Amino acid sequence: MASIVLSNVDKIYAGGVKAVNGLNLEIKDGEFMVLVGPSGCGKSTALRMIAGLEDISGGEISIGDRVVNHLPPKDRDIAMVFQNYALYPHMTVEENLAFGLKLRKMPKAEIAKRVNEAAKMLGLEQYLKRKPAALSGGQRQRVAMGRAIVREPQAFLMDEPLSNLDAKLRVSMRASLNQLHERLGVTTVYVTHDQVEAMTLGDRVCVLRDGLLQQVDTPQNLFDAPVNLFVAGFMGSPSMNFVTAEMVRDANGAAVSFAGYKLPVPDSTFAEKPGLDRYIGKRIILGIRPSDFEDSVAANGNSTGWVRIPVRANVTEELGSEINVLFTIDAPPVEHKDTVAAANDGDEEEVTLPLTGDKSLWTARVNARSHVRPGQNIELVVDTHNLHFFDVESGLSIGHEANIGR
Amino acid sequence: MANSSATKRSGPGVFGGLSHLALFIWTILTVAPIIYTFLSSFKTNTELFGGRSLALPENFHWDAWGRAWETSHIGQYMVNTVIVVAISTFFTMLFGSMAAYVLARYRFFGNRLIYILFVSGLSIPPFLALSSLYKVVDNLGLLGTHAGVVLVYVAFSMPFTVFFLASFFRSLPDTVAEAAMMDGASHTRTFFQIMMPMARPGLISITIFNVIGQWNQYLLPIVLLPGDKQDLWLITQGIANISTSAGYEADWAALFAALSMAIIPILIVYVIFQRQIQSGLTAGVGK
Repeated sequence: MASIVLSNVDKIYAGGVKAVNGLNLEIKDGEFMVLVGPSGCGKSTALRMIAGLEDISGGEISIGDRVVNHLPPKDRDIAMVFQNYALYPHMTVEENLAFGLKLRKMPKAEIAKRVNEAAKMLGLEQYLKRKPAALSGGQRQRVAMGRAIVREPQAFLMDEPLSNLDAKLRVSMRASLNQLHERLGVTTVYVTHDQVEAMTLGDRVCVLRDGLLQQVDTPQNLFDAPVNLFVAGFMGSPSMNFVTAEMVRDANGAAVSFAGYKLPVPDSTFAEKPGLDRYIGKRIILGIRPSDFEDSVAANGNSTGWVRIPVRANVTEELGSEINVLFTIDAPPVEHKDTVAAANDGDEEEVTLPLTGDKSLWTARVNARSHVRPGQNIELVVDTHNLHFFDVESGLSIGHEANIGR
Repeated sequence: MANSSATKRSGPGVFGGLSHLALFIWTILTVAPIIYTFLSSFKTNTELFGGRSLALPENFHWDAWGRAWETSHIGQYMVNTVIVVAISTFFTMLFGSMAAYVLARYRFFGNRLIYILFVSGLSIPPFLALSSLYKVVDNLGLLGTHAGVVLVYVAFSMPFTVFFLASFFRSLPDTVAEAAMMDGASHTRTFFQIMMPMARPGLISITIFNVIGQWNQYLLPIVLLPGDKQDLWLITQGIANISTSAGYEADWAALFAALSMAIIPILIVYVIFQRQIQSGLTAGVGK
């Protein structure tokens, strides 16, 4: 096992397209690192450069203590799982698993031992004599994983390995992957465009956009403290609600006002986000997570810092345990380049009302007990401790430690 | 050849009926001449030209076959042809698939040019270059040798082989080759152990094409294996010799027997490979 370090890595394709731009990333020994981003963000290219399948245009990649820039893939001691599995169709499962070991001139007994161990771990024992054509999608996926596992490499590289599976199988394979990583403890780099996969699998998640690193952090930190509008909009489902608001301070204290609403900003927020006070009297972009809303009836406890806002539910999506309430607020949608990018390429199907006109459509996730119906007027409460503030120009999160001084 | 009868599978209905009718006619068109040739080999010249040439032979004697095999040396020519075609097909497939693979899957300067040069060979019929071919092979000192014939066969089979296989290799998934590279396979090993087996359906079709094409060559052997090297002749030359050597007294039955002998190996090759094509070998690569 080994750490993987990328320093100032560039990938420039013929024609000058910069797929990866000055990427700095340190993947610790035994860590599960997820690279996530919309399609075309360079995540797969970055992975393929680590694998050695793409040339590195600039910078340095090291695995363990070795700089691997000019090493062919086979000498990097890594194994890769491909999106379409890439099994050898004319070989049986057993031969597929053993191929890489045979090429490394491993003794027969050792090969048999490793193949059997991997097959047992993955539940493939009864399929060893079959060819890939006679396996289901999930079984092929497991063979592809097995081919990586038997090699006992320094690191696993996985390029969207679950995206060809159907939804239910994907969820169970996700859990298996988690267990597998727990058990083997091998450094893993995992590429996906699915932010749910990223959140659930990663020890840390690296968000990329247009070849540029946006933020690397634990899933929870990405969710709670996104560094900019793009990360805020990309991570989380349903995605964060945005509005252009004005920061004011009056006799009652600081507040943000938008679309006829006025949400007080608690003093603690100013303490947490240094520099926020400089925006008083100015316009900012306000972000509120759907999960920071609650139906005021259901949240009768009425904890401090929760503010009531009356809205009219346009659409409700009942998910059983909770309800997504979609409502319009009387403010134009935020058209910052970052929010547009995050919304366009996100994996979730956006529910768009064609008739919202010049209003923004917001989503609140409320308790299923609220029984709200479409067309109903309800009162929502907002947790004002979790408001997100972004600069109107740069789209950077105000007061985020990574942005101080930028 | 009689390939169409096996290829189409259509359900019942008007189109099914019509296509079966068309296939039936096509089958007769292809099979009838072969049967006629075969039956005629058992007849005598009198039977053949006595006005009842479509009747069955009076008795099934293998005399004509014996005459063709022994007296007209068809046996010897057959062995020669098998050797020449086997060697030249082998090298055509080896070099053709290697060239096609590299041209299809590696990017390097001049790739396109080499590919176009290969493919432009398709537009030049070898017969057009017959006299220059004769000169070249003569200068190489290979005139009247099987090596010379093999060389020319390989050369003129390459363009179509490369053209066909390059598009076939392009259609195979890149990731399988990449997976092999990650597993530690060299380029050579990836080609021979991973990509060639995956390209088997394509390799088989083009092999059949080459075997048939090279087996049926007449003009090239005539030019490259002149009359003074009669023991090196190929089967087509032998057949032609039966009809020309005796002037108007040609041994027609032996001629038909020789023709049948030339047809049978090709039929066998076809039947064997036909089965292999049908076992879809690329199934199960991906999802």
